[in-house]
Amino acid sequence: MAKNDLTTRNLMLDSLKQYAKNRISFNLLREYDAKNEIPLDILKEMYDHDILGVHLLLIPEEYGGLGGQTTEIYRVCEQLARIDLGIATGVFATFLGSDPLNVGGTPEQKAKWFKKIAHENKLVAYGATEADAGSDLVSLRTRAEHVIQNGKVVGYKITGSKMWISNGGVADIYTVLALAPGGPSWFIVEKGTPGFTQDVHEDKHGIRLSNTAGLAFDEVYVPAENLIGLKEGQGFLQAQAVFGYTRLMVAAFGLGGGEEAVETALEYAGQRIQAGGPLSQKQGFMLKLITPHYIRFEAARAYIDWTAKQLEVNNHGLATEGAIAKLYATESGNKAAEDAIQAMGGFGYTKEFAVEKIKRDVKITCIYEGTSEVLEMTIFRGRWQEHLKSRGQYYLNQAAEFDALHAQNPQVGADSIALGFRALARILEDCRVNKLTRHQYVTFMLGDLISEMEVAAVFTRQCANKIVTEGSRFDLATLCTMARVNARQSAFKTAGEGLRLILGTCPAINTAEVSQAVNLVGIEDKMRGLIDDMDTVSAKLREIFKK
Amino acid sequence: MHIIVCIKQVPDSTQVKVDPKTGTLIRAGVPSILNPYDHFALEKALAIKAKTGAKVTVLSMGPQQATAVLRLALALGADEGVLLSARAFAGSDTWATAYALAMAVKKIGQFDLVLCGQMAIDGDTAQTGPEMAYHLNIPQITFCESIDANGNTVVVKKLIEGGHQILQADLPLLVTMTMPADYVAKYPSFMAAHKAQDKLIRTWTDADIGADPHKLGLEGSPTRVDRIFPPPARTKGEMFSGSDMELANKFVEILKKERVVK
Amino acid sequence: MIQISQKCVGCGKCTAACPFGALSLVNRKAVASAACTMCGACVSQCPVGALSLPATTAVKKDLSAYKGVWVFVEVGNNGQTQHVRSVGYELLSKGRELANQVGEELCAVIIGSNVSPFFAEMSQYGADKIYAVDSPAYAQYNTAAYANALGTLIKKYNPSVVLFPSTFIGRDLSPRLAAELFVGLTADCTGLAIKDGNLIQTRPAFGGNIMADIKCPDYRPQMATVRPNVFKKVVSAPGKMAQVVSEMIPLPAEAAKVRVISTHFDPPASGVKLDEAEVVIAGGRGMKNKAGFDLLENLAAKLGGTVGASRAAIDLGLKEKDKQIGQSGVTIAAKFYVACGISGAVQHVCGIEHSDVIVGINKDANAPIFNVCKYGLVGDATQILPKVLEQLKK
Repeated sequence: MAKNDLTTRNLMLDSLKQYAKNRISFNLLREYDAKNEIPLDILKEMYDHDILGVHLLLIPEEYGGLGGQTTEIYRVCEQLARIDLGIATGVFATFLGSDPLNVGGTPEQKAKWFKKIAHENKLVAYGATEADAGSDLVSLRTRAEHVIQNGKVVGYKITGSKMWISNGGVADIYTVLALAPGGPSWFIVEKGTPGFTQDVHEDKHGIRLSNTAGLAFDEVYVPAENLIGLKEGQGFLQAQAVFGYTRLMVAAFGLGGGEEAVETALEYAGQRIQAGGPLSQKQGFMLKLITPHYIRFEAARAYIDWTAKQLEVNNHGLATEGAIAKLYATESGNKAAEDAIQAMGGFGYTKEFAVEKIKRDVKITCIYEGTSEVLEMTIFRGRWQEHLKSRGQYYLNQAAEFDALHAQNPQVGADSIALGFRALARILEDCRVNKLTRHQYVTFMLGDLISEMEVAAVFTRQCANKIVTEGSRFDLATLCTMARVNARQSAFKTAGEGLRLILGTCPAINTAEVSQAVNLVGIEDKMRGLIDDMDTVSAKLREIFKK
Repeated sequence: MHIIVCIKQVPDSTQVKVDPKTGTLIRAGVPSILNPYDHFALEKALAIKAKTGAKVTVLSMGPQQATAVLRLALALGADEGVLLSARAFAGSDTWATAYALAMAVKKIGQFDLVLCGQMAIDGDTAQTGPEMAYHLNIPQITFCESIDANGNTVVVKKLIEGGHQILQADLPLLVTMTMPADYVAKYPSFMAAHKAQDKLIRTWTDADIGADPHKLGLEGSPTRVDRIFPPPARTKGEMFSGSDMELANKFVEILKKERVVK
Repeated sequence: MIQISQKCVGCGKCTAACPFGALSLVNRKAVASAACTMCGACVSQCPVGALSLPATTAVKKDLSAYKGVWVFVEVGNNGQTQHVRSVGYELLSKGRELANQVGEELCAVIIGSNVSPFFAEMSQYGADKIYAVDSPAYAQYNTAAYANALGTLIKKYNPSVVLFPSTFIGRDLSPRLAAELFVGLTADCTGLAIKDGNLIQTRPAFGGNIMADIKCPDYRPQMATVRPNVFKKVVSAPGKMAQVVSEMIPLPAEAAKVRVISTHFDPPASGVKLDEAEVVIAGGRGMKNKAGFDLLENLAAKLGGTVGASRAAIDLGLKEKDKQIGQSGVTIAAKFYVACGISGAVQHVCGIEHSDVIVGINKDANAPIFNVCKYGLVGDATQILPKVLEQLKK
């Protein structure tokens, strides 16, 4: 059977949207949010093969699934997030929980468990996090000891506990990371196994429709065949192999949650009359609270989609890109949800409107699957290596690429990207020469600036190549205007923030010299026409989202 | 039994907006959907298929993007799709559209029943179905709410002024469907969408269906737009604003003034 | 795609007129994109005549042989007695005007069983001639039978214009004939006039807030359908008796292929029918949900009125489809009409403009509904109506 094409993806998304429209009202979401309860009947319907069968996306075709590619999975994640991030998390936990199996399982294991998940619509949970092992899994405490019969390892006894496990209290199948004698390893544990208990559901700030619970293992016996890959010590590799991919999914959550919030605010602004006209006609309102978010969403969409297409070719890896996508999209979504409340004033602050819930929900995307700070560190480490390996040429080479792009298409801000990359290269080099990365704060901030520039660069390049990212509601001309605005702001942020960092940590650096090298003035010069461009985007937003 | 369902891709009317200045439609960002009447007709065809094992072919005329609605129909259970697409069809009014669709039906070959939606929500003419029936030289029944087929005859519930009729008709036949108010369209599961990729969609041009070029596109369209104009402006009446209570009082006042209540 | 000549001055009038956004200015010249459907809406907008549709090569008919304005007069039946549907008289009244303008005959065509009792009244509305196909075989409407009868008459007498009511029967019969005769047919016209010998058929078009005049310059007869209540009935010839031409047309064999098993008439509705109601309360998207429509029902009950809805509300499933007011629904002629949360797109206004007093309640002060209202209330109907109901209780 062929891989899903764009039309198929759109059909799936339409079915999901229609299902949500007919079945999941805002009042229902509000009710479950207030009760702090998972809508299990909704999840069961979404798994029902005749209604949606959404979980089949993650099951390879040979085991009765439809072998979803990264692109359709991230797009489904985005749409799920637009419906409700709690429900999205419940579905995603099954995706995530199956991943160690997908990456490391033997053919027999895959056949057994995937068929079970596919045909019996089993909920899965991913059991990695512990009290002292969150985003960083190194301090894993849960142990798996050999059970030996006749000199042969026939099984394991797992002892320890897990925290904040999505679907923790409701899953049927758990993939659990534990330290075996041969190193960290994944085990499959079924609900009801003696000694395995689940804690009560957490009372959370947001995603209250997602069940989150701790797990406790008291000498829980699992047969040796439940060791994923039948080889100990593969756990971290198996976990990390999918980070690029899983983080992309959470990036789509941030994007979807943010979009839903700002769209709610923009619809409201189209109807709210202030001083003789609707709010959406007010320049300050739009440029401060609405328009910048749409620009960042489209940048994030371009980057997520580009990374997804790369992952489809490379299969696994791209950990730095996954981290960049997640950091950028979730922080953008979180900020957007906050501004959506601001945009709606008192209404936004009440539970009558969805933005209040979205704001609480979307915050989790900056925390789970790697906090923003862990991601900043990951991104910094990944690109720092490149900078060193290339003797400072990594971003200079990319700057050259964008100079060439600008010569072909001067409408997409490629000149600003080139300036931004040069500034970034210089800042990294100054950090190297002056050993500034001994400041942890500098590494965090560099991770942030790297992600800012790389996302802007991909968005600009996609526009230069006349690619309208699937799922975007904008035409190419509007996307180009957005890319132009985004490129300028990212370059400006990179140069300005970079100067703040290196001058703030190293007083010995010559201000005039480094300012010139970073070429802040050159970047500032690109700002001409910026507000006009943003107004153009605002006008397009009013047109597209007018009710 | 072979059923051919004619379907059309239309802009989602619940999301179409009008430019207040020019009065024209704002189509940017408006998603396309399967015309709801056609969606209903398709579901009825599939119900007959479930009962009798009939084969269901879906037919659409439009640009390449219209493949999306054919794919949706296939995902819902239709067996094959045909897309009529060529520059020669551009500018077609209902006459030329019906002619082209009828020629495509003839090219598909043996059929028993043609099902259409009553009308497309972007045109509202309800003409294409009956016009096709003429070109196919078969009887028609329009505005039907339900249909049941077995062997050589069908029984339909057809709306008439102030009521409905139960009609029985011989095959071959063309029926146009209208849906009840509480109709909720079905959408395919993910797996059904996935499997629809492997079903056949043929794309035919004017040459493929052996159409007379004088009956296609502009040539085959008797109607012409003479001019377009904004709706005539009228004098605005009295306008009132204020709190909800003030407006409620004003409304009651108007009721009394116009003698709707004493 | 539309043809643009060198005469184009780049004024941009056509780009604003294009219903499909297919025209744009490039280097101060209009350029059409692939989105062009060749609808021709732009052609008349160009001040310098630079736009044209590709020339057609169809052999032109001799149109001079086509004379007379015809109205298909539909016989209605409520289960007990039969009557002429009022829309037939409305069309005869309009047809009279058109016939006078071109100096031709107005002819009514009536098909049915035992229809002679209606001839006198048909004559009063201005018919010069009545073609009657009167036989028990035509007692029930049957597409093949009626299309054959009317088609035979049209081919025999060559009228220039044929008008149909936009009823279930008119909308079934007219397209079947249009296909056979290879003529144009314009659905649900809101205006009819003669210009340069052509019937100008006005209707809202392209789904937008614009009207279009449609014509069929090279084809005859020119056919159109019109909804009930759009034109006023005018007795133009009291006491006059039209010339009656009785035609015997045998049923075609195809008529037997569709058979009526049973006919059911809805029990008289609890309220008054929309198109006959004196007070109509209607809701649109702004009523938000079923609870909003409950308010309208309560108000209608208080005022002895009937509830209708805009298409947007129908699409949202807030009201049954047969309660749709507007171009593709029912045209009303109420004494008192209230539009709640209805923006007032031209498609809706077409259906209400024959009402005496129109009241609009809408949150958006710029909503087009206020352009046709006698009284406009800028506010949220879902908030105002509960307070109105409370007051009416007192």
